[in-house]
Amino acid sequence: MSALRRLLLLAAASLAAPAPAMAAWTRAFAIEWYEPAMYYGAQSGVTEPGTDCPAGTNPEPDWIKVLTEAGYTREQALWLRNPANPTRSPVHGQNQMAFRGAGRANVYIDPTSTPDGGLVGVTGTIGEGLDLDGDPNTGFVGPAGERGVDNAFYRTLGCWKTFRGPPRLSSGALQNNDAMRDGAWTVVVVVSGRGDDPMNDDDVTVGFYPSGDKLVKDAMGGVAADYTFRIRPDRKLEALFKARSVNGRIQSSRAEEEVWLRDPGAARDLQLLKARIDLSLKPDGSLSGYVGGYRPWKPVYDGYVRARGPVIEALTWVRLPDVFYALRRNADYSPTGPTGEKTHISFALRVDAVPAFVVPPDAKGTARPISYKKQAPPSGQPDSTADRLPFNVVDGIVIPRGAKAVSQPDSALLPPSTTGAGGAQ
Amino acid sequence: MSLRFNRRSLLRGVLGGGAVALGIPTLDLFLDGHGQAWADGARLPVRFGTYFWGLGLTDTPAGGTRWVPKTTGPGYEITPELEALRPLRHKVSVLSGFRVIGDGRPNIVHWTGHASILSGVAPAVNNRMDAPSFDTRIADAIGGGTRFKVLDASASGKVVSYSTRTGAAFATPETTPLSLYTRLFGPGFQDPNNADWKPDPSIMLQQSVLSAVGDQRQALMASVGRADQQKLDQYFTAVREMENQLALGLERPEKCESCVVPGAPKSSIKGASVDVVNANTKAMARLLAMALACNQSRVFNFVHTPGASETYMAGASKIYHQITHDEPTDTRLGYQVETSRLAEQVMQGLGDFLAELDAIKEGDGTLLDRSLIMAFSDTGYAKIHSIENIPIFLAGGAGGRHKAGQHIAGKGDAVTRASLTAQMIAGAPAGEFGVGGMRTSRPIIELMA
Amino acid sequence: MRRFATIAGSAALATAIVLSAGIAVQAAWADPPQSTAGAEQIVAIRRLTESQYRHAIADAFGADVRIEGRFEPERREAGLLAIGSAQLSITPAGFEQYFRLADLIAGQVTAPERRARLAACQPAAETARDDACARQIVSRVGEALFRRPLTEAESAARVQTAAAGAEHTGDFYAGVALALKSLLVAPEFLFRMERAEPDPAAPGQYRLTGSTKAERLSFLFWDAPPDAELRRAAASGELHTAQGLRRQLARLAASPRLQQGGRAFFTDMLQLEHFDGLTKDSKAYPKFNQALADSAREQTLRTTVDMLFVQKRDYRELFTSNSTFINRHLAALYRVPFNSKGDWAAFTFPKDAERSGIITEATFLSLFAHPAASSPTRRGVKLHEIFMCEPTPDPPADVDFSKVQALETGTVRTRLLAHMENEGCAACHRVSDPVGLALEHFDGVGQRRTLENGQRIDVEAEINGVKFSAAPGLGLYLRQQQKIPACLVRNVYGYGVGRAPDERDEDYLADQTEAFASDGYRVPHMMVRIASSPEFFKVKLPARAKPATKVAAAATHEGGLQ
Repeated sequence: MSALRRLLLLAAASLAAPAPAMAAWTRAFAIEWYEPAMYYGAQSGVTEPGTDCPAGTNPEPDWIKVLTEAGYTREQALWLRNPANPTRSPVHGQNQMAFRGAGRANVYIDPTSTPDGGLVGVTGTIGEGLDLDGDPNTGFVGPAGERGVDNAFYRTLGCWKTFRGPPRLSSGALQNNDAMRDGAWTVVVVVSGRGDDPMNDDDVTVGFYPSGDKLVKDAMGGVAADYTFRIRPDRKLEALFKARSVNGRIQSSRAEEEVWLRDPGAARDLQLLKARIDLSLKPDGSLSGYVGGYRPWKPVYDGYVRARGPVIEALTWVRLPDVFYALRRNADYSPTGPTGEKTHISFALRVDAVPAFVVPPDAKGTARPISYKKQAPPSGQPDSTADRLPFNVVDGIVIPRGAKAVSQPDSALLPPSTTGAGGAQ
Repeated sequence: MSLRFNRRSLLRGVLGGGAVALGIPTLDLFLDGHGQAWADGARLPVRFGTYFWGLGLTDTPAGGTRWVPKTTGPGYEITPELEALRPLRHKVSVLSGFRVIGDGRPNIVHWTGHASILSGVAPAVNNRMDAPSFDTRIADAIGGGTRFKVLDASASGKVVSYSTRTGAAFATPETTPLSLYTRLFGPGFQDPNNADWKPDPSIMLQQSVLSAVGDQRQALMASVGRADQQKLDQYFTAVREMENQLALGLERPEKCESCVVPGAPKSSIKGASVDVVNANTKAMARLLAMALACNQSRVFNFVHTPGASETYMAGASKIYHQITHDEPTDTRLGYQVETSRLAEQVMQGLGDFLAELDAIKEGDGTLLDRSLIMAFSDTGYAKIHSIENIPIFLAGGAGGRHKAGQHIAGKGDAVTRASLTAQMIAGAPAGEFGVGGMRTSRPIIELMA
Repeated sequence: MRRFATIAGSAALATAIVLSAGIAVQAAWADPPQSTAGAEQIVAIRRLTESQYRHAIADAFGADVRIEGRFEPERREAGLLAIGSAQLSITPAGFEQYFRLADLIAGQVTAPERRARLAACQPAAETARDDACARQIVSRVGEALFRRPLTEAESAARVQTAAAGAEHTGDFYAGVALALKSLLVAPEFLFRMERAEPDPAAPGQYRLTGSTKAERLSFLFWDAPPDAELRRAAASGELHTAQGLRRQLARLAASPRLQQGGRAFFTDMLQLEHFDGLTKDSKAYPKFNQALADSAREQTLRTTVDMLFVQKRDYRELFTSNSTFINRHLAALYRVPFNSKGDWAAFTFPKDAERSGIITEATFLSLFAHPAASSPTRRGVKLHEIFMCEPTPDPPADVDFSKVQALETGTVRTRLLAHMENEGCAACHRVSDPVGLALEHFDGVGQRRTLENGQRIDVEAEINGVKFSAAPGLGLYLRQQQKIPACLVRNVYGYGVGRAPDERDEDYLADQTEAFASDGYRVPHMMVRIASSPEFFKVKLPARAKPATKVAAAATHEGGLQ
């Protein structure tokens, strides 16, 4: 038996029967806030220049200019942007914004049909996250001086308004976490070790799972501690880490090949390769720190397209194709080896969790950090957010069911008064 | 005519065809010396209205605010976004710090907030409520005996009302001043000051309900002890008061001195920019106020702008909804400048609306003094669709039942406390309101006289 | 305008019918017989409580009828709302609420989808009056609501209301709705009129009528009006026989509705109405909210009813058991996992949780505490009042509370000691505080703690030379207190008869308490014993009223223009 084969078998065995012996200690938590780890280098606000983004947040594009450069007349561009234009939905934006690629191609699904507008990224040297490649010479320097922090996601998108701002105050994080805290989804964390002292243990296992039980807000508006959450087995969403704790700081003892979490952003599912954790048990009983790895960058882009291109572009001050170009440009990992296509980008989440009780799917006893995937229903869970999007998104724009996402004929691009009786009504 | 001339025989005569002849003398019998007490205004029906606007008022994530006054109780200071309420501040109570408690139900953006305020339960899906909106309870309680049990109007051109009895079907509002005028004062309008008034026969049927009850009185009274006799006496006093209340409805109404049938408004400009919406608001407020003064209705629902408000500054390329989301907080000033400017404009709509109600004199005061208007929005801090600190106002004296002019800090209490308070002040039979974490039987007693 | 035409057109017919109905009605209107010794008379009037009202409506029309309204506040007398309810009447504002509620209910039950349930009959035409069918409906519903058959006058009046309504609206069921409304606002529905009649077995003596006995029984055991079988037994005279009464009692006690009765009794005795309007400081107790308050109330009722009425265990275990029911909210409050997929689950606290029965549930601990702190005094006072029937006098008016209320230093015990220096205070506090201090390991919402302001909390206590420690110690102490089962017996009796027991009842209550003890303190058995004793139906004739001026005035009002 070759060494490699033996290794593979061993890995398979450990996946099939990972159940550790009775844990000597177990702690459980519910995530009350998590967001991409985007180091903020200014004093306050979200647009001001800082060490991270010396020119400040990327400014709002001049949409009239964007449209005229895409081949629309100035008159057409003005009308497309006019709130009185009946084709501009106050909720879903102007669908025609999609059709600004070559030959009126939909830039959301065909971003390379328009040139790269150049999303400005982070130029600072400080970054948050984890050393994913084990090389102290690549990446950022951490706020506490640690070297080799790999977070190309931050370098790419850290000056985009969605992500920029002090911890827990960027607009994207506020919006997503508000939804989670109001019950849209729940992620629980189970930590256990074999020793007697959680603060110092060489053999710690950490598991992240979805739960169907909602977070509960307390009377102060925070997430209440001590609630019970039942793990909802999921064929995909599950993340297990081997780690060790030193003075309460729990760090990965190895990189995990592949784990999946609920993304706190538009992508929804978050795959992490070579994943690691760096979490700390706090004196008040809570848990805080980082979870990171290499995430596929294309689903990040697709998530924003699905969240309705015209809405994202208007509200977050970005041309979506620029996000596509920037992610592709900064991707730094290929699962097939150094020469393969860089489909993944280094990334980390900042996580805060409150003490909770986590129970296994059968609700008996206390959950342990093992795999529950086999208990998942075969077809996977229905998309819990499906009912929150009562509109029909096709190719990044909202259209009536059964209709096609197509560019408007030219006759609809001008106000009725200038197009006469044949104009849009 | 029977010699045994009591209520029953009167009723018999009335229903038998002699309504007009007998209607008035009946009352003298029923009023029983209480007539004065009824007519003095305290028992005149309160008018109730909801006023909705989209996108809340401006907070900041770090805890700042452009609208919440610093002090609570009477005499609150006017914050920038409350400027439009300054002339009527002593008639408007400000309710801050109330929130939606969804019991784990997700926040359906631009829907959960007002759906919870109105129905008492965080909705399961968009555009439906899980229970009737509470304005319908008030309409059932006080809206009878008028031509329109409830009036619905929307000022932004959108066909939108949040009033529902089923949770699924919503009222259809008038969307222009002209259509509202036509509905109110067009064909079918009965001038209350007109000579050929007739009593509403359905009131007599309600009297027959009590008449059967009253018949038992003597038999009961004769067979009880002293203590129980007092209890029964109190009960029958209550019955008699109810009879008096009904009898009042048969009386030719007092002349509506303030009722002046207005002229038809010009056909208005359609549009959603805030100047147009506010102009419509003012025009429709004037019509609604006159409809109340002319006793055509006692309950209305008014929507200034819907949940995800699409109003905008005339000439601008961005709508309010977008601005709340995309405008960053100004570092120096600490708030979203353009958002706050629009909020001030939107609040001007409310200020103008209330001023129209206050312009109509009734008795010693104004129509507003005899009304209760509950104004509220869909969100608190709109940038993140927050359903905490949703701004709520209670305006008008409600005939002395509302201790107006106060700022109440809700400190995280459920929005349903405000809804319950409004129902109780307006006279709906509500002892509690809401479901689960938002169930409450605690009205805001500081506001109740 | 069409409506007026209809009325005018039917005027002749209406008059004719009114005249023919008038004969029967006339008789009933005749002046009431002068009350003389020997006639049936009302001995007590007890207003229906909110839950009795709700159960009555559910029994008469179905559990799915919505009842949305405000009920008048109740009053606690001699420890019970049930006794206070015999002192209460209905105010004009309250009547207005009942009047609107009646509208709401009558509208629902005559709606097309459920009108068929009202009676077996169908009107000849839904657009016209049908007195025969209306009479069927009125008498069936009326008997359920009035808890006895209607008199001819009572039903004739409603049939007439229905007829007039049908004539006016052209809708038979609109008329029926008016008739039902008239029943729903009648004093015979809203009040329990307890009646006595001359006792044929004992000349010169009175006994409760059969239907009054039936009411007492069903409201005690089920918190609901008598069902058809019980009404039958009342009408047939069976309830006046020992055997008939026994048979009905066995049926009442065996019914699953006994749990509903137990719930109502303990809701009253445990003063759970204090949950309405209970507020806690959100900073001190962020987990406390409406959902938690509702959960705590439900925990207490579930646990108590299950223990005493389902498992029929020893009443005294209420103070020592560590078994209960919890939901997810309570699990978070008690800081234990919720090991269930359902909404509620049975749960047994571990020994070190120091939970010992009802006095360690969130209900008792949060109701009888301050908004931001626990209160040993309140807990002690309420424990004596609720479970031992020993009310504490109000504190003197001139007490300086400032030391007790300085929450930021020390423990409650040290703060209360300052209070004990005042001898006027000490007399009561010596009784109330020890039991409360033993519960100090639980904060103002019932969460366990061992420190207050960084200091270890001392939960040792001593009463009358008996020393005990913490809640389990207190529970064992209470288990041995004879006052506790005696107080329950007193409450069950007072609750059933609607009257505070007085010194003439003491021997009887002592006997009942003894029987309770020798039977292992089983509550349903004790209820059956009380309900089968002659004292439960004892007639206390009220002081007669003189022909009061009020009555005379009313007669004038009625007779008006004669």
